[in-house]
Amino acid sequence: MDLDFSADQRDFRDQVRTWLHDNKPRHERPRAAAGIREYDLAWQRTQFEGGWAGISWPTEYGGRGLSLIEQLIWFEEYGRAGLPSVDANFVGLNHAGPTLMTRARDDQKAQHLRQILAGEVVWCQGFSEPGAGSDLAALSTRAEIDGDDLVVSGQKIWTSFAHVADWQELLVRTSRTGSKHQGITWVICDMHTPGIEVRPIRTMDGEAEFCEVFYDDVRIPLANVVGEVDQGWSVAMSTLSFERGTAFTAGQVRLASTVEQLIELAKERTGPDGRRPAIADDELARRLATARAEVAALRAMTYVGISRSARTGTPGPEGSIVKLYYSEMVKHVARLAMDILGQDGLRYVSRWVPGGWSGNYLYSYSQTIGGGTSEVQRNIIGDRILGLPR
Amino acid sequence: MDLLPSADQLDLARVAADFLAEELPRDRIRQRADESSSLDPHAWAGCADLGLFGLSVPEELGGAGCGVEEEALLFRELGRQVAPGPFLSTVLAAQLAVAVGDGDLVASVVAGKTAVGLAALRPGGTFNEHRVRGDLDLIDAVDAPLVLLLGPAGAALVETAQLGDVQPVPSIDPGVRLAAASGVDAPVSAWLPAAVQPLYLRGLVLTAAMLVGIAEACRDASTEYAKTREQFGRPIGVNQAVKHKCADMAVQAELGMAQVYFAAVSVASGRDDAELQARTAKVVAAHAATVNAASNVQVHGGMGYTWENDAHLFVKRVEVLENVLGGRTEHLGQIIALPAPQ
Repeated sequence: MDLDFSADQRDFRDQVRTWLHDNKPRHERPRAAAGIREYDLAWQRTQFEGGWAGISWPTEYGGRGLSLIEQLIWFEEYGRAGLPSVDANFVGLNHAGPTLMTRARDDQKAQHLRQILAGEVVWCQGFSEPGAGSDLAALSTRAEIDGDDLVVSGQKIWTSFAHVADWQELLVRTSRTGSKHQGITWVICDMHTPGIEVRPIRTMDGEAEFCEVFYDDVRIPLANVVGEVDQGWSVAMSTLSFERGTAFTAGQVRLASTVEQLIELAKERTGPDGRRPAIADDELARRLATARAEVAALRAMTYVGISRSARTGTPGPEGSIVKLYYSEMVKHVARLAMDILGQDGLRYVSRWVPGGWSGNYLYSYSQTIGGGTSEVQRNIIGDRILGLPR
Repeated sequence: MDLLPSADQLDLARVAADFLAEELPRDRIRQRADESSSLDPHAWAGCADLGLFGLSVPEELGGAGCGVEEEALLFRELGRQVAPGPFLSTVLAAQLAVAVGDGDLVASVVAGKTAVGLAALRPGGTFNEHRVRGDLDLIDAVDAPLVLLLGPAGAALVETAQLGDVQPVPSIDPGVRLAAASGVDAPVSAWLPAAVQPLYLRGLVLTAAMLVGIAEACRDASTEYAKTREQFGRPIGVNQAVKHKCADMAVQAELGMAQVYFAAVSVASGRDDAELQARTAKVVAAHAATVNAASNVQVHGGMGYTWENDAHLFVKRVEVLENVLGGRTEHLGQIIALPAPQ
């Protein structure tokens, strides 16, 4: 039981901090999709060229080959520097990349992994469907084998950045015999293939990074299948474990910074009595103190998770506990900001702009839905950690 | 950085857990409910033989030379068992005795011959390096020649005989004996300033550890019941209303446990934010234990409301521990006033 970082690790932290300070993006992130793509890719490219992409990715794929501890340090410093979330690069770095590393053929790894790290391509996820949300295995986008191709027809939904993506990790149904978990195939889909149509979905915060994707006899080479045909469910599950592992660390540090910003805001703004600062209000002060305590405990829980992963080598189902608590916490903090703002919260400010509390509040509703709803996380905790009957 | 206990630390916790389950089963609380003292003399002597009271006493003074981290693991097990007896004040008194160089008291506590009760000031009371004044609640001080007072400024030992008229009062917790001392004006027999050793923060961590043990025990009891209790022809745990309650209990237990580890290391290593981490541990663990104890009663249905079931023992001990060393409101007031975590 210790919190000690070695001399090398402390040195590494200093290097990260210095590099981020000297190289972070200087201009505001654009709002339009094409601009976001270029902005996020350029920032990823800068990290890659500086030797800072893929801290815990093996060196053979262009990463640094360091441990989860260095990965944690990177995420912590990244969050502290107030840098934008990886957004358009999230699926490539945190879903598709790790899955390819563990499950893909050597030629598939060689083709894709370095491109992801180098900020050359954007990946998106083709998992959810209108009829298959929480019940992902009910997916029905079908793929027929025709010669050396899969021919795909159907629809995916809630696909972030599909309109600007180059590649997609796509789940299709290749067989209808056996249980619904059998007969699913995980395939790499080129988003520029004829027959793919992408339609952005406007969300409650007014932004449009979500899309639905339609497939009309889209031909994907069988060589793009990762793992075996019909065996894609286990490939998909390894992806989700990664998402619920350490991928939220930067977000947690950002959340802790947000709580500190709110405490400062509550000292500067007039509170609900119209005279004293907001922090003088007992209820607001206690909610801020509770938030400060809870993000501290969230960090402790992340450290426990990383310690556990370092011992076992893989992220376990405990990641669902962190995901559930973190996402609920994001909503609480966003709500608290609105209560501190009072009437000023009526003025809409995009979450991409400093002081964008109202935009952030609207966006926060997505947090307990995406990546598996809070209810699904509770099922996973009940079934896989506690062993409750289904 | 590795926040999880080492194999040696886990072994130590397992030995303590096995011993407590054997020698201090929760049913002992019901059996001894009408005795004047909650402390089972046979089990207390067994704890001394096992070295529980000297866990963090230096080896040259007859202890095991461990630290706050190992103590936290021990107190988590004490919480899980809702162990009756003044463990917290006795173990902390040994630390105080070591720090002030009272070798006789160290030896007596380590040998299980001296138990030390806990004294909590009621509103308006004060204590410092010289005297304690005001009204006191005494927790498990029936057979204790000394009581311990803990505050942010320091820790004090006071002879029980100096407290004047001590009146037993009914306790909400059948595993805890409560007494009241009114109009106390007594000399302090030993004083440890926080600047020398922050015994109060250590007490917060150990109290939080007991609360985490309770939160975990409630999670486990509810999960077990949800797997075996059948209604409508199926185990009740298949229903999401029950399953999700158990899942939330798992989240709370994990959160509290992680923060107790973090705080234990922070206090042991003297991190700049040790006070914030320790107060946070108390707040987070108390919340975890409160909601888990309540959920545990609910999951057990009618059985959860009976004297025979352990569910009420958890509820009641949580209430005692929430109020020991400052409650939620007091700690939140300090957490917002302290500098941001390191």
